[in-house]
Amino acid sequence: MSTWEFLYNGFLVALQPENLIYAFIGVLIGTAVGVLPGIGPMSGVALLIPVTSTLTAGAPPEEAAASAIILLAGVYYGAMYGGSTTSILLNTPGESSSVVTALDGYQMAKQGRAGAALSIAAVGSFFAGVVALIALVFLAQPLSELALKFGPAEYFSLMILGLCAVSGLAGRSMTKALIMTVFGLLLATIGIDNVSGVARFTYDIPELYQGLEFLTIAVGLFALGEVFKSILEREQNEGAIARIDRIYPTKKDLQESAGPIVRGSLLGFFIGVLPGAGATLASFFSYIMEKKISRQPEKFGKGAIEGVAAPESANNGASGGAMIPLLTLGIPGSGTTAILMGALIMYNVQPGPLLFDEHPQVAWGLIASMFIGNLMLLILNMPLVKVFAKIIQTPPKYLIPIIIAISFFGVYAVQVHTFDLFLLIACGVCGYFLAKNDFPLAPLVLGLVLGPMIENNLRRALTASNGDWSIFVTHPISLLFLVIAILWLLVPILLKLRGKKVVVNEEG
Amino acid sequence: MVSLLLLFEGGLEVSRTFDRIASVLFLLVGIFFIMESRKLSASAYGSEVGPDLFPLGLGILLVLLSLRLMVETFRYPSAEMKTTKLDVKRFGIILLAAILYAVLLEPLGYVLSTFLFLVVAFQTMEKGKWLSTIVFSGLFSSGVYYLYVGLLKGTLPGFPL
Repeated sequence: MSTWEFLYNGFLVALQPENLIYAFIGVLIGTAVGVLPGIGPMSGVALLIPVTSTLTAGAPPEEAAASAIILLAGVYYGAMYGGSTTSILLNTPGESSSVVTALDGYQMAKQGRAGAALSIAAVGSFFAGVVALIALVFLAQPLSELALKFGPAEYFSLMILGLCAVSGLAGRSMTKALIMTVFGLLLATIGIDNVSGVARFTYDIPELYQGLEFLTIAVGLFALGEVFKSILEREQNEGAIARIDRIYPTKKDLQESAGPIVRGSLLGFFIGVLPGAGATLASFFSYIMEKKISRQPEKFGKGAIEGVAAPESANNGASGGAMIPLLTLGIPGSGTTAILMGALIMYNVQPGPLLFDEHPQVAWGLIASMFIGNLMLLILNMPLVKVFAKIIQTPPKYLIPIIIAISFFGVYAVQVHTFDLFLLIACGVCGYFLAKNDFPLAPLVLGLVLGPMIENNLRRALTASNGDWSIFVTHPISLLFLVIAILWLLVPILLKLRGKKVVVNEEG
Repeated sequence: MVSLLLLFEGGLEVSRTFDRIASVLFLLVGIFFIMESRKLSASAYGSEVGPDLFPLGLGILLVLLSLRLMVETFRYPSAEMKTTKLDVKRFGIILLAAILYAVLLEPLGYVLSTFLFLVVAFQTMEKGKWLSTIVFSGLFSSGVYYLYVGLLKGTLPGFPL
């Protein structure tokens, strides 16, 4: 079958009534998650995994996986969009990728152009989503064919590259990021070793034989961690919300933002494909680029529509681009995609080159639903902008206990064991303290998800070579990956030594 | 551009004490995994590579990294730390309530334990407005239970007795 037939079949999957509903719920909840202060895309997706597994419980496994991933991906890009709403209306970015949007977006809102800023952000996000979709269609097949030629040595090195890239860019201290990565990998070794069948680090505690559940740790670290933060630090946004008068942008607005949207989408997409460099960097770089090439750079920071259009397109382009290494290579490049990958594994669907052969319904259904989801976002957001602005005012007194209750329900519904509830609370407390002290959490989750696969490939490679470690450097592709991995760690250190400031990615 | 960079650098607040404690803890975790993985067999059937190799290597890495972090903490600039006032009391009550919620979930059943947890948590967040607290907690706990167990045929602990 050709790519187009696969895509056609994907649309058939995505257009099934229940999947349309899932996509709709996904983008709706995602936008709300992005708008609400305190929950970002990562905790939003983590929190919804249990809910989706409940919703899809009755369906056959393949369809359940497709529906679940459609909903979760909807949450992911919905949250990307929702984050911009608070940046523009309140000057408080809902997540780090819309920090730059606030610079010009809030100024526009103060000038009474909030509606135009919000709708340009929606149009930009939609366009970026379509760009990412088209690129995904063209790149998916060749990339997964290439990846099929990889042996265990290449896979091992590629995953090491993925981990190094994420650790190198996460947080301010690389030592801390690496500690979190190694800690995540170590946690993944708890349980029955699936090569030799030996129980490791279980000490006859029956709950540990299965290993620590990824979902419990992710929900605990991200969702509960953030909840504990807002309980302890009494976060409150007292700022007045800007009024929205006119929703649709003027013709001049559209003309001025056409170029930035196209450039932002492309740049965002390519940054998103790189592991480790996520939506935050994408929006940041596209803003700088627009300012550099603008004929009136002095306009920026005073309500230039280009300053909203470019970063908003870029961060959505990046979240689409991040899907490529996840789907074709099975390597998540960011915290959120690591969580999506964990969700797929829960459904027994292994992302990677075989995904397109073994589960075309899931892979192409997801790709097609990204198009439909982005269209929904556009249709949903233009008229509902005022409703979403209301969500910002949800009092935290209701929000915080409800998030805790949903986390408990989700973890218990999937695991049916109180052990996981205690683990959840412990992870929440650890998550708060670690994040507060600049220990990035995304590498830990990434290590936890990738750990078993890295170990399997390492041991398969070493078994094939009779314990000879040189297999990793004599295979050219593997060597190449390792060299890039080392460079990824060394270059920021060298730049820092030369006194340059290094931009870091706060959240995936 | 500089101001943009500052946005990313903003709120830099490194706690020397926390990092030192953390580095010691991670060091201990690393040593633990090294010691314990040496008890695992060093080879598997048909392979020279056993289940001990990966955790052993990672344990060593973790030890090295935590030593590096410890060294780094001595180089931190001794700047005055910005202390944010933490609402420890509120956090303590909700944490305790969450632990009790986990303990009581199975004996008391989902609806009752969730209701109790939500009432305590809502009142801790903001005192007063008992009616809305009770109505809201009741709606959430029974709503989730009937949706999940009644409609979706899932399993949650029911009612005591």
